[in-house]
Amino acid sequence: MAIIEVVNVDKIYNDSEVKVTALSNINLKVEKGEFTAIVGPSGSGKTTLLNLLGGLDTPTNGKIRVGDVWLNELKGSKLIDFRLRNIGFVFQSYNLIPVLTAGENVELIMQLQGVPAKLRKQVAADMLGKVGLADRINSRPAKLSGGQQQRVAVARALASKPQFILADEPTANLDGKAAENLLQIMEQLNQTEGVTFIFSTHDQRVVSRARRVIQLEDGKIKSDFLQ
Amino acid sequence: MLVSLSWRNVWRNPTRSMVVVVAVALGLWGGVTAMALINGWVKQRIADSIQNEISHIQIHNPDFLLNEEVDKTFNFDSVAATLESTEGIVGFSGRLKVFAMAQTDRANSGLVVLGVRPGSERSISGIPNKLILGSFLEGDFNTPSIVLGKKAAEELKLVTYELTDSIIQKFSAKEPKLSMEIQKLSGKRYKSRSDFIKALKWVLEPTLFNQYSEPIADSCISFRLNGPVVLTFQTSSGELHSEMFRVRGIYRTSNTAFDARMAYVNFENIASAVNIQPGHVHEIAILCKGNTEAVNIAEVLSAAHKNLSVRSWNEISPEIALYAAFGDFMGMIYVVIILFALAFGIINTMMMSVLERYREFGMLMAIGMNRSRVFSMIMMESVFLTLTGGVAGILLSTGFIRIFARTGIDFGMWAEGFEAIGYSSVVYPEITISNYLLITFLVIATGILASLWPARRALKLNPMQALRVE
Ligand SMILES: Nc1ncnc2c1ncn2[C@@H]1O[C@H](COP(=O)(O)OP(=O)(O)OP(=O)(O)O)[C@@H](O)[C@H]1O
Ligand SMILES: [Mg+2]
Repeated sequence: MAIIEVVNVDKIYNDSEVKVTALSNINLKVEKGEFTAIVGPSGSGKTTLLNLLGGLDTPTNGKIRVGDVWLNELKGSKLIDFRLRNIGFVFQSYNLIPVLTAGENVELIMQLQGVPAKLRKQVAADMLGKVGLADRINSRPAKLSGGQQQRVAVARALASKPQFILADEPTANLDGKAAENLLQIMEQLNQTEGVTFIFSTHDQRVVSRARRVIQLEDGKIKSDFLQ
Repeated sequence: MLVSLSWRNVWRNPTRSMVVVVAVALGLWGGVTAMALINGWVKQRIADSIQNEISHIQIHNPDFLLNEEVDKTFNFDSVAATLESTEGIVGFSGRLKVFAMAQTDRANSGLVVLGVRPGSERSISGIPNKLILGSFLEGDFNTPSIVLGKKAAEELKLVTYELTDSIIQKFSAKEPKLSMEIQKLSGKRYKSRSDFIKALKWVLEPTLFNQYSEPIADSCISFRLNGPVVLTFQTSSGELHSEMFRVRGIYRTSNTAFDARMAYVNFENIASAVNIQPGHVHEIAILCKGNTEAVNIAEVLSAAHKNLSVRSWNEISPEIALYAAFGDFMGMIYVVIILFALAFGIINTMMMSVLERYREFGMLMAIGMNRSRVFSMIMMESVFLTLTGGVAGILLSTGFIRIFARTGIDFGMWAEGFEAIGYSSVVYPEITISNYLLITFLVIATGILASLWPARRALKLNPMQALRVE
């Protein structure tokens, strides 16, 4: 069974005078272990789609299943808790708490999940090792480069043992080399550990690393292919 | 880790947090000090009043209380027997209490004259130890003795003005030019202040006169011990009777009104002058071991002597009992004002801190931190902030009160004003543990309440909106 299923989803923003149809009639399935890019011009609906998949926003029409749960059936703190235990997030920026070290940032999410302290420390070190930052475990974010900060965010997402990781333009603020490096690490995690990644991007070099590419235009899926 | 995260969040903007910490500390210090001062004051006023003025319990013939007529007496011995056998009584004194017109060669004024036996009076009253000059009524003289308050002595013009060498030296040290000129008045005595001032005007040049005449007059004042005072009483048969007394002592309390009014003479002098039935008194004043004990003892005595009026200190002077309550009330008002100011400071700080971290809260809520955790994190930050200030404030005020409870704080510059309303100008701040805890609790509660609004603001945010990149 696909871990994500999107059925007839529309998203219409109604809050200003003009009605904006951000997504219309989206149908989509994502299987475990995918490495999928969502691409499209600015305003095509990438962020909107990722927010819906992550349970940060609700569709105007249609429904979305993650694992064996239909998201529209979860409300309030149940939904937040579902995100905590099932979905990993990497944002474009503001991922980390500046007063916590890299290790503590990774530990924080496990603490929210109720993982015991000893295990937390071990897993945090382990995950930072996987993104190549074992030696920066005690550094605060301000002492890390933009690329390193994004890798800490990936380590944190991994540490929560989610069903999949969503990343909205994770490389948008990185230079070419750092972007390349981040993608390489994500790809490796996908291949060796089977972690499912869904990320949006503008960057052609990033797109070329994806195995499946979903192209959006004006809120519709224009193409969906494996490469 | 959430605890340590909150603690670190507090110190993200150290300057801003320090401002609040200092404000809380000063606020607490101000509140505690205000309470302690008022409390110390009231306590002292009550203690002074009981010691010098009203004692713990007074017993009268109920009719005496109506008009204080001299023939409304009661038998002393029957009551004394009860008092001797009652636990918790430190001492008692049988008194006669009459109104008299006092006359000297230069002035007259009305006095309340207490006829006392010096030994018994010493066992209950602080007045014999408040003498600034002379002695109490013990000496054996041909002319009867009277002890007056300082204010009464001044009103009766029982003073002289004399420039002694030590005073001349003192003022010459301040202003060398004075030395030659005031030397001329050395050794001369003046019977009134105005004569003395006139003499000063004669010898001093105008600028020096303007600046120094009053302070010099103040330090040259001396009381005329053994000066004559004629007292005129109404006897029990209604006639007027005059008798001469000599001033043997002058006392001073922190209550000027009392000093102006109350005079002490020997019991027998009054008894014979106004013709009191032998063995009778107008009043028995009783000192007990403690203020609350006194109230209970008064009830027991009242039951034992149903025909007499037995009143405890809080009945004799209900306003004194009121002071205590009023003092607490004033202190609380002051504390509440301080807390309001604090609340605004904390709301402002926490609000800024929340708004600055809007995206961060968005991120935390997106990855799965639920609202109650966000809420408790902000609360914890506020509590840490106020607690830090609270601890600093407690240390500050404890130190402050420790020091000044011993030495007292002297409001000397306003002494006259204070003493005119019966308060000492030196205050020994004192605070009860429960008031201390109450204020500390209120400060922390204020910290928590003041952060509710900023916390609510954080809870209302929509993580998706907060994270949107412009
Ligand atoms: N909260 C909102 N309220 C109103 N309109 C919105 C909101 N969020 C997005 N939109 C609109 O929905 C459309 C899709 O926006 P979305 O952010 O999903 O595009 P995107 O593909 O992520 O673009 P970009 O590449 O610039 O990030 C846009 O027209 C946008 O203006
Ligand atoms: Mg976007």
